[in-house]
Amino acid sequence: MPDAHWDRRRLLRATGALVLAAGLAACTAPGGDTGTTPSGAGGGGQGLPPTITILSIRALTGPVSFAGINAQKGIDLAVEQVAKDGLLGGSTLEIETKDVGASTQEAASAASQAIADPSYAAILGPEASAQAAAVSPIAQSSGMPVAYVQAGSGGVLVGDYTFRVTPPAQSYFGVVGDHLSREDVRTASVLFNSGNPTLAELGQTVVPQLGAQRGFRIVGSAGVEVTAQDFTTAASQIAGQAPDVAFLMLTGPQSPVAITQLRQAGFTGEIVGMSAMGAGNLAPAGAQAAGAVWPSNFTATQSAPSSQEFVRAYQAKYGGEAPNNYAAEAYDAVWFLARGIAKANSTDRAAVQHGLDAVAKDGFAGAQGELTFDGHDARVPGVLVRWDGAAEAVLADGTS
Amino acid sequence: MAQDVLNALTLGSLYLLFALGMSLAWGTVGVLNFAHGSIFMFAAFGAHLAVQVVPLSMPSMIALGVGIGAVLSLAVQVLAFEPIQRRARDPHQAQLQIIVAGIGIAGIPLAIAQYVTRSVPFGYSAGTFQVTVHEFGAVRVTDVQVVILVAALGLAALIAWWLRAARPGLALRAIGVEPEVAAMMGVDRRRLALLTMAVAGGLAGLAGVLLTYHLGSIAPETGDAFLLKAFAAIILGGVGSIAGVAIGAMVLAGVETLVLVTTSGTWAPAIAFGVLFLMLLVRPRGLLGRQEVRRT
Repeated sequence: MPDAHWDRRRLLRATGALVLAAGLAACTAPGGDTGTTPSGAGGGGQGLPPTITILSIRALTGPVSFAGINAQKGIDLAVEQVAKDGLLGGSTLEIETKDVGASTQEAASAASQAIADPSYAAILGPEASAQAAAVSPIAQSSGMPVAYVQAGSGGVLVGDYTFRVTPPAQSYFGVVGDHLSREDVRTASVLFNSGNPTLAELGQTVVPQLGAQRGFRIVGSAGVEVTAQDFTTAASQIAGQAPDVAFLMLTGPQSPVAITQLRQAGFTGEIVGMSAMGAGNLAPAGAQAAGAVWPSNFTATQSAPSSQEFVRAYQAKYGGEAPNNYAAEAYDAVWFLARGIAKANSTDRAAVQHGLDAVAKDGFAGAQGELTFDGHDARVPGVLVRWDGAAEAVLADGTS
Repeated sequence: MAQDVLNALTLGSLYLLFALGMSLAWGTVGVLNFAHGSIFMFAAFGAHLAVQVVPLSMPSMIALGVGIGAVLSLAVQVLAFEPIQRRARDPHQAQLQIIVAGIGIAGIPLAIAQYVTRSVPFGYSAGTFQVTVHEFGAVRVTDVQVVILVAALGLAALIAWWLRAARPGLALRAIGVEPEVAAMMGVDRRRLALLTMAVAGGLAGLAGVLLTYHLGSIAPETGDAFLLKAFAAIILGGVGSIAGVAIGAMVLAGVETLVLVTTSGTWAPAIAFGVLFLMLLVRPRGLLGRQEVRRT
């Protein structure tokens, strides 16, 4: 006869191990406003040193490596171009990359090390919101300028020293409105990832607001957990509601699955997603996803001259490969930092912050088109992208 | 309503397929393999790599996935778990070390798949099989759903029968109850442990391939999410009980589907795991823990 206590102990141990593993994986540091900022390290106002060093905190491995690897390509191209351009005079811009994977602790630790080392002039911040929200308060309180790409949640822009070069999705989501009006959309269902702050806000606030502006009614709205894999039930419900359009505010890996299951459930209406549908994520759904549209801050075929200049340079460097939004954003972030340092004519961190402020006030033409800033947060006109079953194409171009 | 029931059964069958191998290894040879999710994903990923080279049929893909899963699971057993079992001072320590080793090993296939795919989803669109949807009145069912339902319920019944009626199954149960006595009675513990781990890995591979067909694509991280659900189904049903795992998987999927259908869906995981928590308070051994004790 087995021992009941042994049985229970085994169960408790196994449950404890699982909880510990899940806890470690989910551990994040809180963000928040830290108030006043001290002056930066280093000497100020004495011109640029021979080498200007920036720390890039990237996820080159792990679940968001698709963003980190593409961003790295954009960074490398921008560094080459800054050197050719002569923007920094005789100084060399050097970007040291630290791969922190999905670890929030490692990201915060890398930022702390850079802050403690006076040779770093600025930080190119991590993509993941949890990592960025951990880095921001440290950088802000220590007077270290940080430029982020992605990192769309709250708690990232916490003061003078934090900037974001990826515009928030909410700011260009309206580009989908004209398309829906043309299609005479009257009803909509929404499926959103309730664990992702950006996607949840889009699903719960931005889409209903768009509906109120454009005259369509939300007939169903449902959330799915952050790691949801199967959307059969949600797809059946949406198919049963038979709306004119289904908004899928989901992550990249979730999007092709949800589209496939929606079509299998018999839904024939329009599908609107988010920029997570780009970067090749719809390829597994193939023709089933044909017709899906999403607003984006960048696509390789958008018409802005500065975007096309970037695309040509990128393709020349990477064997004809078309750049995606992650590469474009990181490219713009490097140019943003380089312009700020050039304006400051110093690597003193407080001076660099003032330089970045000035660049943000003026805006500039980058890979994403004409970049302007609302405070420290980038804005672009945005484009509406359509998946034709095999590739992305521009449906409406706000950058032209 | 009928569509919701079918959806819940399909989801439950997916949880069951995943959990069967994990439960079998845990309930008999005492190996709680936290690398099961990675084996599941890597078998599906291996089949994906193969289908990029040669357009394969669904049965070939399944056979490939089962084979990769079995080989990986055997490798984990021989290279990691067996040395731990040999060196540990007592079974309690061995089990704890196996859990930690499993968590560590799980990172290797995951990192490889993430590196190769850059965490972009992968599927079998290059294969010869195309999913077909059948309509029966208001109910829509795909051929993959039918395969999943048949495979999950059929394999659960087969394994339950094998453990109760077949000679190796009885020997395996004997190891689970009293390993030393079983060894004295002539049961080859190592051989049966290897067989069990191979079957468990094969089931993980089968689940991985079928899930990829069902969803159209999966991501390298998919195994992690399923690991948590499978673990919950095993605890809910009762450790070591195949019938318990089947019921646990269906209850978990049923509760999740019910919450999705009747609410905005945001609370689905909280309610599903709340049910699990309540069950552990009322019946710490799970739903079938008492009738079937610990071993099947």
